[in-house]
Amino acid sequence: MNKAIYTQGLTKKYSRTAALSDLSITVPEGAIYALVGANGAGKTTMIKLLMNIFRPTSGHARVLDIDSRELAGKHFNRIGYVSENQEMPEWMTVATLLDYCRPFYPKWDGALEQQLVRQLDLPLKRKLKHLSRGMRMKAAFASTLAYRPSLIILDEPFSGLDPLVRDELIEGLLDRAPETTIFLSSHDLGDIESFASHVGFLEQGRLLFSEEMSVLSDRFREVTITLDHPLQLPEKIPATWLQPEASEFVIRFVDSNYQGDATARELAAMFPAARDISQTSMSLRAIFLAIAKSGRGQSQSAGERTVA
Amino acid sequence: MKQIIHIFAKDSRHFWPEIVVSLAAMAAFTWTYPHHWTRNNLRGGLYLSTSIDWELSASILTLLVPVSWWLLITRVVHGESLVGDRQFWLTRPYEWKKLLGAKVLFLLVYLYLPLVIVKLVLLVQAGFHPLSYIPGLLFSLLLLTALLVMPLLAVATVTSNFARMALTAVGIILCLVAILALSAVRGTSVSIPYSDRLSIPLTVCVCVAAITLQYAARRLWLSRLLLIGFPVATFVLGLVSPGQAMMERDYPSITAKQGTPIQFALLEDSIHQVMVGAGRNEKEVGVSVPLEAYGVADGYMMMPTHVRVSIEAANGIRWTSPWQEMYNARYLPGPQESSVNFEMKRSIFESVRAMPVILHLTFTFTQLRAGRSRRVPMPASDFPVADFGICSPQLDWGGSQQIIGVACRSALRQPRLTYVEALWSDDTCGSTATEPNNGVQGAGWTGNLDDDPAEFGISSVWTTGLDLSNSLRDTGEKGRPQKPRYLCPGTPLTFTQYDPVRQIQSDSTIRDFHFPR
Repeated sequence: MNKAIYTQGLTKKYSRTAALSDLSITVPEGAIYALVGANGAGKTTMIKLLMNIFRPTSGHARVLDIDSRELAGKHFNRIGYVSENQEMPEWMTVATLLDYCRPFYPKWDGALEQQLVRQLDLPLKRKLKHLSRGMRMKAAFASTLAYRPSLIILDEPFSGLDPLVRDELIEGLLDRAPETTIFLSSHDLGDIESFASHVGFLEQGRLLFSEEMSVLSDRFREVTITLDHPLQLPEKIPATWLQPEASEFVIRFVDSNYQGDATARELAAMFPAARDISQTSMSLRAIFLAIAKSGRGQSQSAGERTVA
Repeated sequence: MKQIIHIFAKDSRHFWPEIVVSLAAMAAFTWTYPHHWTRNNLRGGLYLSTSIDWELSASILTLLVPVSWWLLITRVVHGESLVGDRQFWLTRPYEWKKLLGAKVLFLLVYLYLPLVIVKLVLLVQAGFHPLSYIPGLLFSLLLLTALLVMPLLAVATVTSNFARMALTAVGIILCLVAILALSAVRGTSVSIPYSDRLSIPLTVCVCVAAITLQYAARRLWLSRLLLIGFPVATFVLGLVSPGQAMMERDYPSITAKQGTPIQFALLEDSIHQVMVGAGRNEKEVGVSVPLEAYGVADGYMMMPTHVRVSIEAANGIRWTSPWQEMYNARYLPGPQESSVNFEMKRSIFESVRAMPVILHLTFTFTQLRAGRSRRVPMPASDFPVADFGICSPQLDWGGSQQIIGVACRSALRQPRLTYVEALWSDDTCGSTATEPNNGVQGAGWTGNLDDDPAEFGISSVWTTGLDLSNSLRDTGEKGRPQKPRYLCPGTPLTFTQYDPVRQIQSDSTIRDFHFPR
């Protein structure tokens, strides 16, 4: 499996404050990787380290097999970057922006450019400074997708956009997905749940986990145990149980390491008097809320992090 | 090259207002500046009311043109700002060498090319053949690059917008003022010999390093550190540098064999007296010692550059001043009145003023030898002086068409140091061109000792009014005690160029010197 992005122990400190600590992830080629986390979790810092806008304090990153610290010039022919707070050349019209970008890219696809202009309904003659936030993002997308980058990195691309624009951008993005790797950050889980293939969760500069979406969905289950007799929670709760709670006849928790039948058997053994043990799959949002509320990182000290 | 042209074209489109402003300022400068040497505007060193506007306009434009360049440089660099982490261009396939190349091309096209045209036009208008001054023109562009463009470019690369750039400029000016104030308080001369020669190439190197660091790697704080650290380090070095050792190296003491090229004696009579006045602050006093200089060999001139004063008192008190610069003193053969001025601590002055002291004066001199003299009969209109420039008679501002002075212009730099002599006539000149048999000797120095083919400036033409002595005569009348003297057509003007021979250090000792009580 080729890696589009690979980081090892990536750390960024500002004075004594660590914006990002010891971050190690692998993004395989062709993936749609969503880096999620609350505002200030370190997502933008991570992306700027990948793009060589910031230099890491320690650790390293490789982007399309190039050391991120070496990224410059022609390397960006293969990398597209769009950020919510990017300073665009506001004095340009959309057409001028596209005209200006075109000669930089040997693989600029004029037909695709036209298609994107139509698809995103871009007003070519209007200056960027006169465009709405959504339109500006669309223009940035068009100027990025038109050269068919091998890797698209997006920093909060859908933040503050109305649902229609968001859907248009996602649609445009997914059209390119078969031929590219997409790495995006978001604090809105609903945005990415429908299309991300991989997900990583950052909290206060630390990566809590990074894995395939399907594995994550399979791993997290909301478990409800209904009892015939009132029962207290066991004294030793497994580390993989998040937010355990018990009422008179019901015990509920989120199992972060649900293993299907094996887990069902373990639970049956733990609660022989259980009348019913049910498990339901969880939305991404519910998973993150469970993790965030539980306050446990359940992270490993180094290397690829997964919830055990 | 394709990317360079592409970025250049974008900048040309985007910054057309700044380009227009800069070109307009340069065009206006080219139009107004020649009035500096238009004969009818300059009369006896005074300007008629009709010409004040031209003079003022030229002065304003001399300021406006660099300001427009500042705007141009700052805006074009900030077009792809090197400060910040949100710029669009950071994640586009810009190659830093090509980006820098595009900015350089922009400056070549919109700053240097128009400036070269301005300089050529001014040379032609002043009567000089521009092709004869190509090396000088190139040197003047080099100076402009080193002293103005590079520092502006460097500061622009470490600031994110024009407002911050302007704030930085204000900060730099305040620092310079503080440095000057500090050096004044310390009482030391900051101008170490040859510091200019070193500081200009060093400034260029530091600016190039900062610009390259920023474009190649955007190492903002390292670049800022370089740009701030260099002037601070230069100043600190200036303060702690071994001034005496540098003086000894650059101005070696003369040996007994070499003989004394100049001597000084204290002038003490009813007219000439040692004067003591206020110093630059309450703790200092200023002392002026009248001297007579003599002993300069025929065909030579001694030009003092620095002086250091030492005092030895009978009560054991010794005091030595720092090296202080001397301006405008030039000693020719024959006795010549002069004075040496210095400042000393009031406490030391008070403790020695009542007793005789030994006064040691150590001068550094540049010794010059008279070169070729050119004698020109005063014409009625513009006249060229070889190796000097083109001169114009200045007419009496009363409208009498009498010549009361001479103004000269030279290409790219002031003339080399030249002694100009003429004979003034007390009376107005007749209508026929006659050389007066009798007249009053007028003389003056003009020019400088620089070897460089050009001086720093926007204009390629330097104008100088020859400041000849005895240009006014006493009339004894009340209300109008002085009247101008006249240079009659045909009267000889002599231009003698002086060339440096050597730099030396020479001591003079005045024993039994008394400060005034």
